Amino acid sequence: MKRRDFIKKSALATAGVIAAPYILPSGRLYAASGTRRVNHVVFCLYAGGVRNLESVHMNDGNLMPNMFSGGGSISPDIIGAMEPLPASPLPMSLQNYGTLFKEFRYYNGPTGHYNGHTVALTGNYVDVDLNLREHPRKPTVFEYYRKHNSPQQSALKCWWVANTLGPYPALNYSSANAYGASYGANFISPTSLISPQGFDVLGNPRTFNSQEEAAVNNIRTFVNGMFNHSYSDGSAGVVNTDPDRVTLQQFITDLYTKAQNSSFLNSWNAGNAMNNDMYNILFAEEVIKTFSPELLVVNMQDVDICHFNYSQYANNLRKADFAVAQLWKTIQETPGMADDTVLIIAPEHGRNFYPNTSVDAFGRRALDHTAPTDPNFTGDPNMQMAREIFCLVVGPPNVVVQNQVISTIMGESTEIVPAIANLLGFDADMPGSYGVKPWSTCQLQAAFV
Amino acid sequence: MKRIPLLLLSLMLFFACTKEKKYEYEVDPVTVSQNSGDKTTQKTTSEFISIAYADLFGIQIPQTRLVNLSIAYSSFGDQKVIEDRIIRNFVNDTLAIIPDSVVINNDTAAFITKAYKKFFNREASEFEKYTWKNAIRQDASISPLTVYYTLMTSDEYRFY
Repeated sequence: MKRRDFIKKSALATAGVIAAPYILPSGRLYAASGTRRVNHVVFCLYAGGVRNLESVHMNDGNLMPNMFSGGGSISPDIIGAMEPLPASPLPMSLQNYGTLFKEFRYYNGPTGHYNGHTVALTGNYVDVDLNLREHPRKPTVFEYYRKHNSPQQSALKCWWVANTLGPYPALNYSSANAYGASYGANFISPTSLISPQGFDVLGNPRTFNSQEEAAVNNIRTFVNGMFNHSYSDGSAGVVNTDPDRVTLQQFITDLYTKAQNSSFLNSWNAGNAMNNDMYNILFAEEVIKTFSPELLVVNMQDVDICHFNYSQYANNLRKADFAVAQLWKTIQETPGMADDTVLIIAPEHGRNFYPNTSVDAFGRRALDHTAPTDPNFTGDPNMQMAREIFCLVVGPPNVVVQNQVISTIMGESTEIVPAIANLLGFDADMPGSYGVKPWSTCQLQAAFV
Repeated sequence: MKRIPLLLLSLMLFFACTKEKKYEYEVDPVTVSQNSGDKTTQKTTSEFISIAYADLFGIQIPQTRLVNLSIAYSSFGDQKVIEDRIIRNFVNDTLAIIPDSVVINNDTAAFITKAYKKFFNREASEFEKYTWKNAIRQDASISPLTVYYTLMTSDEYRFY
């Protein structure tokens, strides 16, 4: 080799060695440079199918006084179904702390729970029936956050807290190319895991002393090294580092300990009124207190009882409303998250205008959620009521427009993902190929200063 | 002279009737076990739980326990975290069949061989036995329980 060639190739190789460590796992050479509006976003899917008639239009009185102002008292014919709840933990209703979109829309696709959740978390309408065993095909907001946020954060900062199992565990990451489990959120369904049955099988783990732990780790590294397959990267769910796994084990242990304490379970003084939704939010608060997540999505779905019991639907709307107020209170009491968090609240879809044939003990007819999926539907507009929802955005006054109510049709479900991306400063780094609406075209912008 | 051909014929007949020897060909007994390289299929959740339970308790897992474990398994996103917890609970159960520490010290190689057959369905290689023996000799904290826990939380145990 000629001396000149040798020097040239050596210089290139050296430059490569120097540059290599700065290539991020995302494949980008430099970190994103978006400006954050806040450092934390909590998205509460007030799910299960909530009709605007009962929420923002208050046809049966104000069933959600922690969130919405005004409205009259609850209709006398169903008042007997309403369980007593403690007074609001907030000095005024949440809408005072932000902007309420009364006529938000879920424009396309089947009005099913899993579809609705998928749309809210991927920023894309799903126009086909989903295979419930599959992860979404397009990236979730969790993956966008973990891949494009700068600096990149571990999954401890990104959580999906679901009130049930079924297909919902699959929503913490997608099967999209270049995304997936490595960028997924930590998922927990607390009411399934932290249950008497869960404690029975997972509540008494062997603890090893530090010498045993070290020995086990060393020898396991050797054992794994002798095997030619790795059990990771998607096949084992979301990926955490080994130290983070130790933290998560301790978190689970702490939850089991707390759940055995009746004063923890009755932290809100709601007594027997506590339902699955409320417990889910209570455990989500533990995620907040422990990890101060930058992105947390939590859902509730108990209002879906409306398929056969309208009065309990109304009752559960109240409970979910109370839980959201507790959630906001906890956020404001958590160092690091107080005054630096935007909370977005929206149902995944609405419910039908026309009732089904079930009648409850109070004489009210039950409601399904089956809007026509034909995009060219021109029939009775009431048939589309399951597409009518609300969206409430609350946050610090320097970020969110306070005490604003937008009553015209404005905003849609697919705008929540770009809103989160913009708030956390990585929207400009998201690829356009997955069809997420550009933030510059989103009507949800009206909520922000 | 007439008797000579008769005598020769009689001798020929006598030797012609000698019983043939029978030869039987057999193979030496060989233990057939799986090579670690052949394991490419990942156990399903219920397979992992059922096999782990059977390996440690020597009986089939009760249906209720399988259901409860499957629910708990699905309730957390990082399966390695939950699998680790399942195995920690199994080895902490007083009904788990785990040998005493005496066994590991008496004949370490035999213990490791048996453990590999039990959990990995294969022979431990000489290198593996050597490494384990060294580790056990140098670290008193390695017990049959920690060996079982290590093997059951390894990548190979997740495949068949």
